[in-house]
Amino acid sequence: MKAKLLLHLRALLFFQILFFTATAQNRTLTGTVSSKANGQSLGGATVSVKGTKIATTTDNSGNFTLSIPANARALVVSYIGMTNQEISIPASGSVSVQLEQSTVSKLDEVVVVGYGTQKKSVVTGSISSVRAADLEEQPVVRVEQSLQGRTSGLTIASQSGQPGAAATVRLRGFTTFGTVGKNDPLWVIDGVIVDAGGIGYLNQDDIESIEVLKDGASAAIYGTRAAAGVILITTKKGRPGQLRINYNGWYGTQEPMKKLSLANASQYALLRDSALSAAGKPLAFPNPASYGAGTDWQKAIFNYSAPKTNHEISISGGSDKSTFFTSFGYTNLTGVVASDISKYQRMNYRINTNFKPAKFISFGENLGFEHGKSSGVGETNREFGGVVSSAINLDPITPGIVNDTVKYAAFIPVNPAQWSAATKTGSGQYYGISPYVGQEMKNPLQYIQNHLGNYNWDNNLVGNAYVDISPIKGLVIHSTFGTKMAWYGYESFTPVAYYNTSTSINQSNVTRNDAWLINWNIENTISYNRTLGGHNVTLLGGWGEYKDGNARTATVVYNNTPATTFDQATFNTTVYNALPADRQNSNATDGTDHRVNSLFGRLQYNYQEKYLLQALVRRDGSSRFGGNKKFGYYPSVSVGWVPTLENFFPQNDVLNNLKIRASYGVTGQDLITPDFAFIPVVGAGGQRNYSFGTAGNVNIGYAPNAPANPILAWEQTKSTDVGFDAILFNALTFSFDAYQKTTTGILENPVLPGYAGYGSFAQNLGEMQNKGLEFELGYKRKIGELTLGVNGNVSFYRNKLTKGLLGQAYLDDNSATFQNLGGIARTQIGGPYNQFYGYKYLGIFQTQAEVDGYVGKDGATKLQPKARPGDLKIANLQNDNTIDANDRTYIGNPNPTVSYGLTINLAYKNFDFVAFGSGSGGNQIFQGLRRLDIGTANYLTKYLNAWTPTNTGSKLPRIIDGDPGQSYSRFTDLYLESGNYFKMRTIQIGYTLPKSMTTKWGCQRLRAYFLVENPFTITKYDGFDPEIGISPDAGAGSMFGVDRGTYVPARSFLFGVNVGF
Amino acid sequence: MKKNLVYIAAIALGTQLLGSCKKELEVNSQGRQTTDTYYKTPAQAFTALVAVYDRFGFQTGGLYDKLAINDVAGGDQVAGGGSATDINDLQVMQTWTLSSTSGPESYIWNRSYTGIYRANVLLAQIDGCGLDAATKTRYIAELKAMRGAFYFDLVWYFKNVPLLKGILPVDSLYSVVQAPPADVYAYAEADLLAAIPNLPQTVSIGSEGGRLTQGGAKAILGKMYLFEKKWQQAADMLKDVNGPNPGVAASSYGYSLLPKFSDLWKPSNKFNSESVVEFVHTSTSNGGWSDAGASEGNLICIISGPRGYSVVKDSVAPDYYSGYSFLMFTKDFATAMYGDPRYGATVANMDSLVATNHAKYNAAAAYGNTGFYLNKYMGHAADVASVSGTKELNFPQDEYEIRLADTYLMEAEALMNAGADVSSAGRAYQLFNAVRNRVGLAPTTVTQANIEHERWMEFAGEGQRFPDLVRWGKAATVLASRGFVAGRNEIFPVPQTELNNTKLEQSKEWGGTK
Repeated sequence: MKAKLLLHLRALLFFQILFFTATAQNRTLTGTVSSKANGQSLGGATVSVKGTKIATTTDNSGNFTLSIPANARALVVSYIGMTNQEISIPASGSVSVQLEQSTVSKLDEVVVVGYGTQKKSVVTGSISSVRAADLEEQPVVRVEQSLQGRTSGLTIASQSGQPGAAATVRLRGFTTFGTVGKNDPLWVIDGVIVDAGGIGYLNQDDIESIEVLKDGASAAIYGTRAAAGVILITTKKGRPGQLRINYNGWYGTQEPMKKLSLANASQYALLRDSALSAAGKPLAFPNPASYGAGTDWQKAIFNYSAPKTNHEISISGGSDKSTFFTSFGYTNLTGVVASDISKYQRMNYRINTNFKPAKFISFGENLGFEHGKSSGVGETNREFGGVVSSAINLDPITPGIVNDTVKYAAFIPVNPAQWSAATKTGSGQYYGISPYVGQEMKNPLQYIQNHLGNYNWDNNLVGNAYVDISPIKGLVIHSTFGTKMAWYGYESFTPVAYYNTSTSINQSNVTRNDAWLINWNIENTISYNRTLGGHNVTLLGGWGEYKDGNARTATVVYNNTPATTFDQATFNTTVYNALPADRQNSNATDGTDHRVNSLFGRLQYNYQEKYLLQALVRRDGSSRFGGNKKFGYYPSVSVGWVPTLENFFPQNDVLNNLKIRASYGVTGQDLITPDFAFIPVVGAGGQRNYSFGTAGNVNIGYAPNAPANPILAWEQTKSTDVGFDAILFNALTFSFDAYQKTTTGILENPVLPGYAGYGSFAQNLGEMQNKGLEFELGYKRKIGELTLGVNGNVSFYRNKLTKGLLGQAYLDDNSATFQNLGGIARTQIGGPYNQFYGYKYLGIFQTQAEVDGYVGKDGATKLQPKARPGDLKIANLQNDNTIDANDRTYIGNPNPTVSYGLTINLAYKNFDFVAFGSGSGGNQIFQGLRRLDIGTANYLTKYLNAWTPTNTGSKLPRIIDGDPGQSYSRFTDLYLESGNYFKMRTIQIGYTLPKSMTTKWGCQRLRAYFLVENPFTITKYDGFDPEIGISPDAGAGSMFGVDRGTYVPARSFLFGVNVGF
Repeated sequence: MKKNLVYIAAIALGTQLLGSCKKELEVNSQGRQTTDTYYKTPAQAFTALVAVYDRFGFQTGGLYDKLAINDVAGGDQVAGGGSATDINDLQVMQTWTLSSTSGPESYIWNRSYTGIYRANVLLAQIDGCGLDAATKTRYIAELKAMRGAFYFDLVWYFKNVPLLKGILPVDSLYSVVQAPPADVYAYAEADLLAAIPNLPQTVSIGSEGGRLTQGGAKAILGKMYLFEKKWQQAADMLKDVNGPNPGVAASSYGYSLLPKFSDLWKPSNKFNSESVVEFVHTSTSNGGWSDAGASEGNLICIISGPRGYSVVKDSVAPDYYSGYSFLMFTKDFATAMYGDPRYGATVANMDSLVATNHAKYNAAAAYGNTGFYLNKYMGHAADVASVSGTKELNFPQDEYEIRLADTYLMEAEALMNAGADVSSAGRAYQLFNAVRNRVGLAPTTVTQANIEHERWMEFAGEGQRFPDLVRWGKAATVLASRGFVAGRNEIFPVPQTELNNTKLEQSKEWGGTK
């Protein structure tokens, strides 16, 4: 390693000596930049010498000084929101440039394309960009949120309303199946690859731009890890000029966006009684009305004024020789559910610097550090034990806290003496224990009390150091070292607790978990750009070396310590010197490294920006493969044509610019579990051990897990994309893309015939296809003092599995299961990934005659002999004599087939207004709020209107204890609801104080704004939120749209200020 | 010159990059061993042998084994448990509703084939393990003996099974076909014959009890000959196990009947003189519910115990461990056996314990409760593991696969069928009545009916009844009331998972083509 670095440095040196030539004599040019519209000077405008990298930025008075070579001919001046202007350099004297407000500036934008940038006008791939300007002043905490609804091609759904929770991101659909993370796009931050879920550390305000590489041809530069798409994030850099200080802060309160309409105590008693009487059983609650409203469990755990704060301050500036950007951020969020144990705090520090000691060399680093601390309510979309699920399912009769031990004796724990300390509030009252609803459903107030203090923490250091050497014009040697270092863990105390007859914790424990990982990458590229007679060529070559892998962890548990609360708990054995060794447990894990070595080359060519071509190839070697399959090749090519630049194209005012694009690219996937799938690992212990002799000791056995699969190879995704970008009426931008991507060789561990004698091993078996259409629209117009901007996007996609496993008619891969309904999804070959799979119902039996008349093929056998009027009539799809598992079919699709977003910007004088919303549709949601295996669980009030002999018009089947007719205990499309929604995400009104006023106070800009987040959602769905991502909890499956009682999202009301000095 | 320098530098750099690539893609396997790095030392060879023995005595995490399957299938016991679907693989053996997708057949199938694979792995690797010649010869013999036993189980239960003589290559995974049953029997016989001379005559029971011996392998082979109706060969093979003076002196391998029948069921009485082939269990493996099949404890002990058992008068009542009420004897069987001297050691009459107020148990929770429990294998509180983990999965009682009374009766039966002298002067009479004599029963004549009765009483609850009924051709009549279908239920269906995507065919008995 060391030797190689040395060699590399030597090589760099060699190139320098070889190509170092004295540059021509320079002279100094000064000038000013201002706005043509109002004459105001423009600070922060970029002034560059055309065709070179020589550039500077204007100071706050719009002045600049630039050292220019003698052969320089022209300057290019750019400023966000203004049209770029090119002026020839006068022989002497200063220049004055007046920029015009641009209507459409997108063509001159530069986009990040991976190992470089490219002018948007010559980009041939399908790349969507989100700029800092679109994100600033949005109160988002995670990057996924800032992308949601902003670009086409992305399906994003939050996994939970828990503060700081991640969202599920799918770029152009599902690319593969298998391990959940395989479908997560690759996140690259300033050239450093961070693993999925590892982007939570990033401070939103530090982001300069986000580029989404959607087509295979663009993503192929990231080769083996790009199959699920690539998202590039560039952080802000300093600019030469005066020191800039920016402060952005907001504060506000949040409330739950929705409250479910659950039965109150008397309604619950009524429903239970009617269920019991229908079953011929004695009533449980003789006088339902006497229970009144009872406990509103949602109210008990919801917080309608949960605070939310963010402060961010950045300082940037620099000179010709060096620039810097540094920022500090602080975020503190409180959840709207169980606020005492639902918190998120984050501190960020960033330093990005660049030094340019000489013309031919620059170096610097981009470094972000984050410390996070959070506590969560636990399983947020899971029916087993989360506080949300408990609040939905607990009966409203049980009091939250027993304030009258005589009246509410039924709600005091069994054998209270044994449990007294563990089940009381701080003021000595018992928490109500439900005698009706048990299992994992716990009094949420008690749960909160018992989890106080527990927290997760993380420290992340992500960044890179780089050097750029440009020995001759057009040639840049770039060398970078990047790293992600993470330390994280949790601290928890679990007290002895009694929740109900089936759930109690008999032994307390205090637990500490620590984990760390260090990933790094080294990349070196050489690029050369030259323009000759209209031919513009950029060549790039590079190699990279990457190491990442699983964390190393250690966990220590002390059982039965004397502590009773988190604050008392300690690991100091001096305090616990009496704690026997067998109550101190620890374990640790090692992760396997993942190494990738790469070589890549790229050609970008255009002729007069009219005929465009990009071709690239990447070769990746991965430690996850063996033998000759270690290396994979990822070629891609894309072409473009701009007919509007052709002489023959008629001059017109309608179509100002048109670019037609087509691309083809291959990307790969090397995420395989377990590690070392290509070699025959010999496993130890477990079902290999045996005992000999009377001594009774166990001999550890060893046997291979599975044979070698030396032909194990990469999953390959081949993508084709055609599209165009157009500018119409000088005000409207329009982009269209149609794509198809096919993944072959998807890795699966199939069920092997038992006669093989060995375990299953990964094989390249599956094939999957995605097709989609994407539209992006932008409109910007200035009408007098009013500026109007509209941005919208719509994406459609269809996914299908084209090949499963060896003759199998369907695939059951990461499919969700639901309580006693069993599996609720599977994938049909030829159909979309993980569709809902269950029974179809034909309606509700109204009379016994209908039940008796519903017979099988033989005309006599009753298909649903146990059904009675009010029960669901199930379709006999097999047309045989029974309703059984074979009558199930595909009854819905959890994957949205369309997603869209819309942003409207208005500015009038000093006022500005933003409205932003997004939505998706075409999918179904499994509404699984009620615990089906607990017959006594509470109901939504809609069940008050369930079928009864006197209410025959209901759409809901009858409620009967034990459900003998299986109306609710079969998975039918009764559980599916439309997932269509439109969510208004933000409405913001801002006011910028006049500059004449603020300059007196020493600030350049002072803007105040008021913002409402999640003001409303348009949907027919009756759960908390129709936006349901893939739950990270075990057993949830790799599926959207399964609602097990999600953490309700928050509506926030925020006030914020931006101040610039 | 300058140009050349550039080329040289470029080439040097290039080769360095390319050459280093592959090496750096080799990452630390964090302690993982592969078939290339393992099997290098005698200690490693031993661990591989252990993995084959693991399958030999394997009980599934579904809480049953061959003994339990045969017990329920034999008609004298019910599945029981907590409900009609509790350990469904056993319930279907009671109702004879097993099918290629539901039943215990996958357990039998996978146990044997995994064992065969593991044996084949070590046989292929054993030369590189650095074993001394004697140890290597012994290991090979043990591996072949077990492989023969696995194939015997397979061919007897399924009739039509693939015969894999080595490790199945990945590329022919789906092209395997079934072998004629005669070929499988012949292969198993050959394996055992090859093994016998190289196995030790006896082993030190303290450290090696449970390892296969010459006597054990001969008993397995003799039993297989008997099942194949190769009477003379069976008698000859079993004769060596039983010795020249059955019931009087210990055989040359040291086997003799225990004087007291009930001593056979004391967990501490491991590898006693009557034990020929024994599956070993221990209380020290700390088995838990996350993988009950990995426990080395005897799972039959917990499933056969009565539900909700508690002692009222502890000086009198047995210290049964509360279990799950499986494998109860039927009332018919209990009535038939009542009066036999082996009754007390075989059947635990829970209801009489309750009636005399010595103990309580939750009869209502036991599905199809009969009150007659499997005393031979019920767990006792005194034997409960001292481990801090899951006590119920760590009972130390061993299980007899073949014991001397069995080889006595098998040899007697073989001799009788081979036309040997069955009079009181003959060896068959001696063998047969040695078994009766041990429990104080008067001698009687050697006839098919008497042998059938003796085996029925002697081995009740030991998983012998079902194979006996099948080989005697009595299963269809004896088990008819339970739903046994003649011409089908004599064998198990090939599991559906074995038919998917493969060239295997379902047996004709089960509606297939084989």
